[in-house]
Amino acid sequence: MLIINCPYCGPREQCEFTNGGEAHVARPSDPEKVSDKEWSEYVFFRSNPKGIYFERWVHSHGCKKWFNAVRDTSTDKVLKVYEIKDEKPSLADLENSNLTTPSGEPEVGSGNFTVRKI
Amino acid sequence: MSAKDNKDSPYIAFHQSVKFTFDGVKYKGFKGDTIASALIRNNIKIIGRSFKYHRPRGIYTCGIEEPNALVQILSEYSEPNTRATVKQIYEGLKIESQNRWPSLENDLSSVNNLLSPLFSAGFYNKTFMKPRGFWKKVYEPLIRKAAGLGKPPKPFKTKSTQLHHHVDIVIVGGGLSGLLAAKSLAKTKLKVLLIEQDSYLGGILKNSNKISTIESKDRASWIKDVETEIEYSKNIKVLKNTLATTYNYINYLIAIEDLTTGMMPLEGHADQILHKIRADHIILANGHIERLISFRNNDLPGIMLAGSFEKYIQRYGVIPNISPVIFSNNSSSFSLIKILIDLNCKPQAYVDSRSGDKIESSLLDIIHKENIPLFTNAHVEGCDGKKQVEEISIRDSEGIITKLKSKMLCISGGFNPDVHLFTQSKGVLTWDDKYLTFKPSKSFQNTIVIGSAGGLFQYSKLANDIDSKLSFLNHEPIVNINFELNESDNYSIEKLWETKHEKKSRWSKSFIDLQNDVTTKDLRQGIREGFDRIEHLKRFTTNSMGTDQGKISSINALGIVSEILNKKVSEVGTTIYRPPYAPLSFASIAGRSTYNFYDPERKTSIHEWHKKNGAVFENVGQWKRPWYFQSYLEENLDQAVQREALQIRKYAGVLDGSTLGKIEIKGSDALEFMNLMYTNNFSKMKPMSARYALMLGEDGMIMDDGIISKINDNHFIATTTTGGAAKVLSHMEEFSQTEWPHLNVFMNSITEQFCTFNISGPKTRLIMEKVFKHIKFDNESFPFMTFNNFTYLDSTIRILRASFTGELGYEIYVRPSIALKLWEDLFRFGKDEGLIAYGTETMHLLRAEKGYIIVGQDTDGSVTPQDMDLEWMIGKSKKDFIGKRSLTRSDTIRSDRKQLVGIKPINQKNIIEEGQHIILSSNVKPPVKMLGHVTSSYMSPNLGHSFGMAVIKDGKNLIGSRAYVSSSSRDAYEVEIMKSVFIDDENKRLVS
Repeated sequence: MLIINCPYCGPREQCEFTNGGEAHVARPSDPEKVSDKEWSEYVFFRSNPKGIYFERWVHSHGCKKWFNAVRDTSTDKVLKVYEIKDEKPSLADLENSNLTTPSGEPEVGSGNFTVRKI
Repeated sequence: MSAKDNKDSPYIAFHQSVKFTFDGVKYKGFKGDTIASALIRNNIKIIGRSFKYHRPRGIYTCGIEEPNALVQILSEYSEPNTRATVKQIYEGLKIESQNRWPSLENDLSSVNNLLSPLFSAGFYNKTFMKPRGFWKKVYEPLIRKAAGLGKPPKPFKTKSTQLHHHVDIVIVGGGLSGLLAAKSLAKTKLKVLLIEQDSYLGGILKNSNKISTIESKDRASWIKDVETEIEYSKNIKVLKNTLATTYNYINYLIAIEDLTTGMMPLEGHADQILHKIRADHIILANGHIERLISFRNNDLPGIMLAGSFEKYIQRYGVIPNISPVIFSNNSSSFSLIKILIDLNCKPQAYVDSRSGDKIESSLLDIIHKENIPLFTNAHVEGCDGKKQVEEISIRDSEGIITKLKSKMLCISGGFNPDVHLFTQSKGVLTWDDKYLTFKPSKSFQNTIVIGSAGGLFQYSKLANDIDSKLSFLNHEPIVNINFELNESDNYSIEKLWETKHEKKSRWSKSFIDLQNDVTTKDLRQGIREGFDRIEHLKRFTTNSMGTDQGKISSINALGIVSEILNKKVSEVGTTIYRPPYAPLSFASIAGRSTYNFYDPERKTSIHEWHKKNGAVFENVGQWKRPWYFQSYLEENLDQAVQREALQIRKYAGVLDGSTLGKIEIKGSDALEFMNLMYTNNFSKMKPMSARYALMLGEDGMIMDDGIISKINDNHFIATTTTGGAAKVLSHMEEFSQTEWPHLNVFMNSITEQFCTFNISGPKTRLIMEKVFKHIKFDNESFPFMTFNNFTYLDSTIRILRASFTGELGYEIYVRPSIALKLWEDLFRFGKDEGLIAYGTETMHLLRAEKGYIIVGQDTDGSVTPQDMDLEWMIGKSKKDFIGKRSLTRSDTIRSDRKQLVGIKPINQKNIIEEGQHIILSSNVKPPVKMLGHVTSSYMSPNLGHSFGMAVIKDGKNLIGSRAYVSSSSRDAYEVEIMKSVFIDDENKRLVS
């Protein structure tokens, strides 16, 4: 279980939060003007990277506030949390952009892992 | 030769005998004995039968790593697969052996052993493929009966509880390293938790004779002194009888504490605690585990790991056999030989795979001095015996075989650092060429590994190891400790995974995984068949997949595989060690959250009245709602619903709708916000009016519905479905916070602040006028879909004219404190007019007659408002609302989408079943083309026949035509497709 640092309440156990999927997916300002393809990309398509991921969380069993977080999906390390109104942080600003890989991801696959960090 | 007590052991209370039964026979042990040590004391060799071949098995180890000696505890809810080597006995304990029939001595299924070619690696995958259908009916029941371990426990109420800890440091393991670490942290301000699985601290000091003195004290007094020091420190808490099972992300550790070690669980007391521990740093000092060597029949009762044999002597005060043969490939046997000699029990022989010049001189000296037969450069080729070891064959370097009559063989294949927790934490392992094992190399989390858990097998380097790793904590350095050892400080080992042996009969097997009955031959066969990746091989052979996770053999398997593949072990790699380290019961995970505490129950203010008046309840989310009311004791659901439904259309009925979600929305931008959240246009709505409204997801699919009451442009009240309340509120919160934070709007749940009564039926107006004499209910004063606030008992109530049954109806919103009074008032005045209380099932029937949908029953997250024939609810003039753009996607405007229609059986005797398929003809020969399915179906007393709602492809265009409904119990039957409104299509009853 992760510890997530709610920008409003401080560090709390993950079970108090609900994940809200990828952050910074802008809703088209005039939905009627976008094509089916552009609209469906907003509704259905999300990235699923191994590594740095910008995502939304809500402190659902706490202050109920939504906020954004940057998490490394390969290590589950939450690198930064910030309020919804804040700018998307640049990678260079992240405290730990030099990421470590978890163990057991040998350089040459031993068959233990289906995905290797590139 | 039989077992003998060692009364020097300080951990067994020899003056306190304990009686217990094993397979119905009474035995006697001592307080402090495990089941295993007590059975050894009683010369019991066979403890169970093996998983696949039903071979007799005995006690192989002396701890958590035990693969064989698993028993069923009859006296505790029949708990299966309990490790006899861990569980302590108490007076009256009842134990049964597992996986044998009819008895342990004569097991009929052991014929499996002779059929073993059938049961070789991958046998499930290959043998039981054909004929089709045989697996479920024949093979699986047979295999389930023959294979497996214990029997499932009886149902019981859990008596476990859970505790959370937030500490600076956790030390896992209260052995030599763990104690040294704790001692050095005792004067710091760090909050420390020390976890020990045994009931005593001390680890190797308690379990073996390897260290003679430490800091010039004998072992027991050193342990006692350190324990006292820890006790007096204010910062260290010790948890004994506690096993760390899981190491999760962010130093989150799960440990299970046994509160009933050595005693009968007490009624009304927790018998275990699941500790959930969050720490800044975790120090793993959990030591090492001895491993086996494979040879012919290396599973026979009477074979035991050498370290375990020594542990029985030291820790449990019993010498399993006074004249064992010892077989080793390493230097660790010196202390065992020494203690045996000290106890006047000379080993029968010592067999070492190493050549004489490589064996430590101290070891050779004692063997020569005591005249113990010595075989160097020799292997145990195999063991023979009917139900236990009777004869041991030893092969020397020239291939000459010597046979020894003996009933006990101690083996040592070397040591593995116990890396399970470390790998669970995602730490990286590395292969150690000197000690032939994997050891921790790089931590992924804040993990520190000390002592033999880290691959350090030299006592002289221990102090330095701990000092260097803990210095960042400003601990008190250990600097140096002096040991007097009963073995060489330089542990040395020679590679030996399996000895060369001949197959003598079908009964001869060389095991690698004792619990799952995997042989070394299975490994070779698996590789031959192409499973040369270790993870594949593990699953194909089931090697190390038992409840012991191959603790004493998984490295051996890697060694054997590496030799077959001609690769280095480091290239073969390890399989992943997954939590838990040892099985823990579901009961401990569930803790108190069972039965009544599993999920909260929500009850309305009228609940007690419902109970008194014959309500049968159903669960809707966490709510208890009246399902139907019994007018007499034997009345069943169908009878009650038919009666209630007729009564309401003729007179009146009231439903306790207090469970409906209610959300209050306020703010200067409330109107704009509501226009975005719902499909409807609320702009032109007059204040104090209401509207049926739909909420969509961004994908255009119906998410929820409800009635929106507009007090003014800045203040709305929305109702939601009972189950959807929380979801709708968080959906609103999400969009107000993330998409439209500039809107000034706030929302709040008021579900429990108001009780809601839905009263409807032709007599309703009359009843309402009697109850609320000061309020005008005529159609002009109180039109459909308007509401107002009134006074009742000095309190404000809100009455809304709306209906979910299709009859004239009102919804009354009232404070819970006076709700019951109002409810009773309704009946005081309404009884003579035929008012009844009704439940959810009748509500469902009545709304379906009227063609109203229920979100979640008639919709399933894949239907749009158009599909449900609710286009009229879409505010087309609105620029935007959630989901609007999706309603014009190419997929949502297809005409052949499934659309809502009504259906009616042609033969009115047929009752439509919910969930059945709508098909084209009564011919159900596959493949059958599916048109759609029945979403709701009821027998209507008002229509006089069964009817239903269904979603059918292109349904709107099929109205007036016929189709068939499939059935599980009879032939498909014909139905007419029609509009989904069956009663009062013109809404006359609603609006007049």
